[in-house]
Amino acid sequence: MTEKKHNADVLVIGAGIAGIEASLMLSKADRRVHLVEKTSYTGGTTIKFEEVFSNMECSTCMIAPIQQELLQDKNINLLTLAEVEEVKGSFGDFTVKVNKKARYVDMVNCIGCNACFDPCPVSLKNEFEEGLSERKAIYVPCAGALPNIPMIDTENCIRFKGKKCTACQEACMFEAIDYNQKDEKLELKVGAIIVATGFNIFDSKNLPKYGYGKFDDVYSALEFERLYASNGPTEGNIVLKNGKTPKSVAIVHCVGRDEKGYCSSVCCMYSLKFSHYLKTKLPEIKISEFYTDLCIPGKSHQKFYEKIKETNVDMIRASEIEVTKQGKEMVIKYNNGSGKKHTHSMDMIILAPAIQPSDDASKLAKTLGIDLDEYGFFQEKSLEDSSVVSSKPGIFIVGCAQGPKNIQDSVSQAIAAVGKILSPSE
Amino acid sequence: MERKIGVYICECGPNISEKVDIDKVIDAISSIEDISVVEKYKLLCSADGKKFLEEQIKKQGLTHLVVAACSPKEHEKTFMEVCENADINPYLLQLANIREQCAWITEDKDEATKKAIRMIRAAIGRVRYHSPLDKKEIESNPDVLVIGGGIAGIEASLQLANTDRKVYLIEKTSSLGGLVTNFEKNFLGMKPISDTIDKKIQDVKNNKNIKIFTDAEVEEVIGFFGNFEIKLKNSDEEGDPIGFNVGAIVLATGLTLFDPKNSLKYGYGEIDNIITSLEFEKMNKTGKISLKNGKPPKSVAIIHCVGRDEKGYCSEICCMYSLKFARYLKDKIPQVKVSNFYSDLCIPGKTHQKFYEQTKEKNVDLIRFTDVGITKNKDQLNINYKDENGNKKSLLVDMAILSSAVEPATDASKVAEIVGISQDEKSFFAEAHEKINPVSTSTEGIYIVGGAQGPKDISSTLIQSEAAAGKILSSLVPGRKIEPEVKVSHISESFCIGCKTCISVCSYGAITFDEAKKVSVVNEVICRGCGNCVAACPSGAASIKHFKFNQIYQELKEAVK
Repeated sequence: MTEKKHNADVLVIGAGIAGIEASLMLSKADRRVHLVEKTSYTGGTTIKFEEVFSNMECSTCMIAPIQQELLQDKNINLLTLAEVEEVKGSFGDFTVKVNKKARYVDMVNCIGCNACFDPCPVSLKNEFEEGLSERKAIYVPCAGALPNIPMIDTENCIRFKGKKCTACQEACMFEAIDYNQKDEKLELKVGAIIVATGFNIFDSKNLPKYGYGKFDDVYSALEFERLYASNGPTEGNIVLKNGKTPKSVAIVHCVGRDEKGYCSSVCCMYSLKFSHYLKTKLPEIKISEFYTDLCIPGKSHQKFYEKIKETNVDMIRASEIEVTKQGKEMVIKYNNGSGKKHTHSMDMIILAPAIQPSDDASKLAKTLGIDLDEYGFFQEKSLEDSSVVSSKPGIFIVGCAQGPKNIQDSVSQAIAAVGKILSPSE
Repeated sequence: MERKIGVYICECGPNISEKVDIDKVIDAISSIEDISVVEKYKLLCSADGKKFLEEQIKKQGLTHLVVAACSPKEHEKTFMEVCENADINPYLLQLANIREQCAWITEDKDEATKKAIRMIRAAIGRVRYHSPLDKKEIESNPDVLVIGGGIAGIEASLQLANTDRKVYLIEKTSSLGGLVTNFEKNFLGMKPISDTIDKKIQDVKNNKNIKIFTDAEVEEVIGFFGNFEIKLKNSDEEGDPIGFNVGAIVLATGLTLFDPKNSLKYGYGEIDNIITSLEFEKMNKTGKISLKNGKPPKSVAIIHCVGRDEKGYCSEICCMYSLKFARYLKDKIPQVKVSNFYSDLCIPGKTHQKFYEQTKEKNVDLIRFTDVGITKNKDQLNINYKDENGNKKSLLVDMAILSSAVEPATDASKVAEIVGISQDEKSFFAEAHEKINPVSTSTEGIYIVGGAQGPKDISSTLIQSEAAAGKILSSLVPGRKIEPEVKVSHISESFCIGCKTCISVCSYGAITFDEAKKVSVVNEVICRGCGNCVAACPSGAASIKHFKFNQIYQELKEAVK
């Protein structure tokens, strides 16, 4: 930044892989970072994956070390359960109001032993597990979440509904449960802002033809990721709702592409990864991938595709796909390139839905005073220049919040935004 | 000085104490020779616990410390800090992980207690042989060498240069701008590319902190992060070779096209009016698209995926620029019939499909093929293809444009060798980590951007250049010293037999060979302490600090005793 009296501190919104990388890099440059994260944990969507394409590296092994580094970094002020409510000022001198919700668990005293979970009388669907398992009202989203400190979900905790329950407090040996914690309103002064709020997936219920939400064994990509995850609801066992092992699986690409009007760029690759997941656990399984155009750009992806094809995965170019039931059997109907109609019965269907902006993107755009593009992603200032530069000076947009992309490109953008902030030419 | 080892056992509330009988552990450990003190504490990582530990070290005059608690991942740093505060070297600490590796996974309390005793004994056995390690600091040079004066190198230079930092921009041709100067428009916004690149070139030229060398090549690079010595092939006015020092290097050597002559079925070089995508860009930029005979083509085929099978990867940008070519053609020759032959349409990202749809609306035929070739038909060309159902078809056109795969620039291998980094199997520069470290290499201080790292469009290239700048700006700060890794390898001069095995297994280029003494020598600044050389050394000459043979041996011996 220039010689003017700019505030050197930076606000990073979103503690997914892009936000974490950006924060760590800024800290390395001796910048103080306020990292605001909406949920109770770090790692974003990446921690939902068991493995990442195309070298099938364990996702946790990849991201846990940098999550740990983040928690121990003294230049980084991690604010979980926090949301940005107001932003005023301009490049070099922003004033940011943050609402930090109470966790009701003391971050210093708690050691993450999980003793408070069992006695909690409340049980409900775990959102992190896409509703495939249950959690308590005091909980961490999954084993290995970082920081490994539970939160109390006050909407469901019976104490916060007026009952006299103190079960979790009694179970805690470290006096870490504090029902008197209050939400805090913080005011932060920063010079620049990086927006790394990630993405959401297209809700397949909008397209009844795929049977999602209607039939038991139709899964979204994220649901299937959790089904395969060793720390997930089935500890990585791929099972149908009736407890049986699937013998045939269809993976449907491009779900919602027509509706969204763009190619989400990662679905072909992660769908191929799913075939790898399935063949690893269930070598005999019959897999059919239904795609329109195979989009596997980049130097290392085709090799992965060829490897998957060798494992006897049927790659079917198809249109007019429909999932229905014939008697008790689930069937997939489709039209292949030649115009012929086909029908196959399938035990399990996995949908690869389009990537779309996260639900609160438009609200945040308003708060920050930056533009959205026609698809609802944060809009870059110009297609000709750096894609991390938003319509407002000093605010940078990175990762899937700017547009669908893979981990490599998200991280590149995160570091590029840091480059922009540290660069003397900005 | 007499050795005084203190052992502190954390109860971790009930987490360890419920499964491990800590009093039994204390009994078993106390009798060990040179143990000054064994104590338990409720929660050592708490503020009170750390204070207690610090006071104990001072009060007992301890020389070595064993903490039996949780995983080193959780609190090794915490307890190392305690050591520093208590004025003992933090490497004289050993952690025994009796929570994750014992209390949490061992059902039977007796078993867990026995196991904890073994683990603590092992830690004691090890810590006896620990030596203090001291952090080093070395001066660093904040200046940067950028190799390649295309848009990637230019962007990186602009992001890096300021009064505290010089950038040396080396371009092997006579002018800056690289490949994109041949393009009329960028496919994203269909705006003139010269608006962007010309301004950037001007900015680089006007920046007093960027020293540009055109018609220049790097001859030699020696040194390491913070301290590279660079020698160019070029000479100054007095005839002396040009040399300078930098702290980091950015490789932006760009890409080139797969030569369609390598695939005979396209007839390239044999038949007139078959041109490559780059030749077409150049022709289009002159403002006139014409056949060999000077007339404008009435029909043009644009063939995607040329060389894809040979290269073994999708080049990511060809579909989009092929659609751009259709637009060029329709803009300049409105009546021209354009047919794009593609196999899979690869148009990833939020803006691309719209561009595709707009192009289709301009009456461009999109034909999917499973195989394609070109033959001569009088003055015209036959595009012979199989459609997606395997039916043989043919289309007569005046001109064919081959959208060739991209590959690393021809001198990439030479550059990789000079700077000492590796290439992947496709000859692109290899990144330190494909996902989370895409612009770094295994050699610290050397960064890879743009087409040199992999096929990509201008937008992604700019991002990588800015990312490399970010990496450098955050780690190479003027006036700040560099702290190299302390747990590094050491090769004993007297044991080394000069076989050079270690040099071949070192991923970081940290080992050189002393020809005079005929032994391998570790550069401690470059070494990251991975241990490859130690494992590979046939004579036992290589060892790694803090993981010496005896330290590990004593630890294991106690664990299995």
